[in-house]
Amino acid sequence: MGTAALTIDGLGVSFSGLKAVSAFSMIVETGELRVLLGANGAGKTTLMDLISGKTKSTEGRVFLGDTEITNWEEHRIARAGVGRKFQIPSVFRDLTVRRNLEVASCRNPSVFANIGFGFSKAAKARMDEVLGVIGLEDLRNEPASNLSHGQTQWLELGMLMVQDPKVILLDEPTAGMTQSETLKTSQIILALKGRHTIVVVEHDMAFVREIAERITVMHLGKLLAEGPMAEIETNPKVREAYLGSRRLS
Amino acid sequence: MSDADLNAAANVGTAPVEKAPPSATATRIKTWLEYAGYAGFILVILVLPFFFDEFTLNRFAKYLVYGMLGVAIALSWGYAGILNLGQGLFFGAGAYMIAMSLKLESRTSLAQGSDTPVPDFMLWNAEPGAPTELCCINPASFLWLPFQATWFGVLMGIVLPVVIAGIVGLTIFKKRVSGVYISIITLALVLLVRLVVIDAQPVTNGFNGLTDLAYLTVFGFEFDPYLKETYYLVAILLSLVLVGARLLVSTRAGLILQAIRDDQNRVRYLGFDVPVYQTVFFAISAAIAGLAGMLYVIVAEFASPTFMDLAFSITMVVWAAVGGRASLLGACIGAILINTIEASVSETQSLVQAWQVFIGLLFVGVVLFLPRGLAGLSSDIVDFVLRLFNRRRPAEPRPAGEAMRPPVAAE
Repeated sequence: MGTAALTIDGLGVSFSGLKAVSAFSMIVETGELRVLLGANGAGKTTLMDLISGKTKSTEGRVFLGDTEITNWEEHRIARAGVGRKFQIPSVFRDLTVRRNLEVASCRNPSVFANIGFGFSKAAKARMDEVLGVIGLEDLRNEPASNLSHGQTQWLELGMLMVQDPKVILLDEPTAGMTQSETLKTSQIILALKGRHTIVVVEHDMAFVREIAERITVMHLGKLLAEGPMAEIETNPKVREAYLGSRRLS
Repeated sequence: MSDADLNAAANVGTAPVEKAPPSATATRIKTWLEYAGYAGFILVILVLPFFFDEFTLNRFAKYLVYGMLGVAIALSWGYAGILNLGQGLFFGAGAYMIAMSLKLESRTSLAQGSDTPVPDFMLWNAEPGAPTELCCINPASFLWLPFQATWFGVLMGIVLPVVIAGIVGLTIFKKRVSGVYISIITLALVLLVRLVVIDAQPVTNGFNGLTDLAYLTVFGFEFDPYLKETYYLVAILLSLVLVGARLLVSTRAGLILQAIRDDQNRVRYLGFDVPVYQTVFFAISAAIAGLAGMLYVIVAEFASPTFMDLAFSITMVVWAAVGGRASLLGACIGAILINTIEASVSETQSLVQAWQVFIGLLFVGVVLFLPRGLAGLSSDIVDFVLRLFNRRRPAEPRPAGEAMRPPVAAE
């Protein structure tokens, strides 16, 4: 603890004049689980896009550990150690559950290094473990397209576990889930804690209470408040901006 | 696994089940059946010479070449999700490269009154009083010089398609062009190259293509198209391509390629350089098409701009669709089957026109009712039979852990 896994320094981007994120700074420490809150349009997903390279920033810098990864290509950022789960679950629908994990467990990104068969014993063992954690062991030979919405989300989480990145970005991992699915998801995420540094964007307050340590609140592309759950809940600025706007919408 | 992970697993109530999942046996049987399919196909094409004469074998050799094109299409369309409507470009490139060498080796080229071989059409097209040496008959005739060595033509038959595919692939995949736009670009490209080839009459013999070619000679052996050995050359190379391509798609790289087909972005965020993967497999598909083009020239003894006709490239896609684009063997058999039927139909004059209509209807029918083609159909039949077989047997005892699984995981 104590060392920064992800440092965001004055990051910003504007889309034809509209500042979706501006001068945003945040330090996430190694092993931390950080929840990112904010109303719709606060810039949470854009921030994730900026970190993972999907969107190129127009100001500021991003560091992964000591390495500056600002505006690298997506696959290089991923290779450096940033894993991302999208809001809309994205898995390989025509491949089986197990094969989805196999894709994530290819350690060497080069195409020629991957002209070979099979996976190491360690990789196989890890995949089996992850299948257990996400509860899809019996479905390992099913095509991913046969999974339910919740199972698809867990599979994507499983792929992140196998990929084993330093920092994991999760964009609304419980969106569209039933209560019991949400509960299981929070348990999976808690299982990831400690092993990975995690940043979660989430709307579901019950879920946030379940998992949160430190919370960062965004409003209109800017940092509004940061602190532990209890502090954030009583923060008048947050109540006004976040809860207020939520009531309106 | 960390303790935290283990605890989580226990909490959620999905203790590891100590048994391979039930569908594993079925999967294994299907895999073996697939291997048996490949072995059976290869066996059949290798024993054909015992039953047919050289004339028929020559025709079969052409169908096998089409089968090889089917493999190339299935690799790029079925596995990489790249619908290339200009595969004829690579086929044509391969064909012209070897044809240039074989043209220079032909007797007529040697008898043009020059010290070195000169293609006859070049002199017919030459300006009055132009030199008669290959280097300088016209401003572009020097391009033919290296083709005096047969190995150069053969090598270029693979290298040129790979280089073209590499440049085109990197350009469009880096730009993240995908789906139908790739098809449009490749389609435009094959038309463009066809125009250039026809237009460059003095070096390519334009519309007429390259005819009157020598036989390919390897270590003193002449591959006369009406020899069993020539059929074997095609059949063995097709077998190698089939097995090689099948092995390739089951490597880790092949798996990543299929993942790219399903969801490019997901692969990108797992850290893979997507355009490089796409380009490599696009180039391998082009190399196979180039090889097919060369074999076609050996078997049919000509190269022509019709290889780059749009209709031909689209027909290839129909073959693969009918056979099953997601299966290399399926697409290969689809190509051979359709061409065999077409050849027997075209012996009746009145059916020749009707054939085009039939092919069109077949394509529509396959897209609507058999999206995975014949290969998909046979896979469904195998599934059906396996299920019947399973039902007759008493169910295997389920492990205890299974009954305790919470409803969440079973949803």
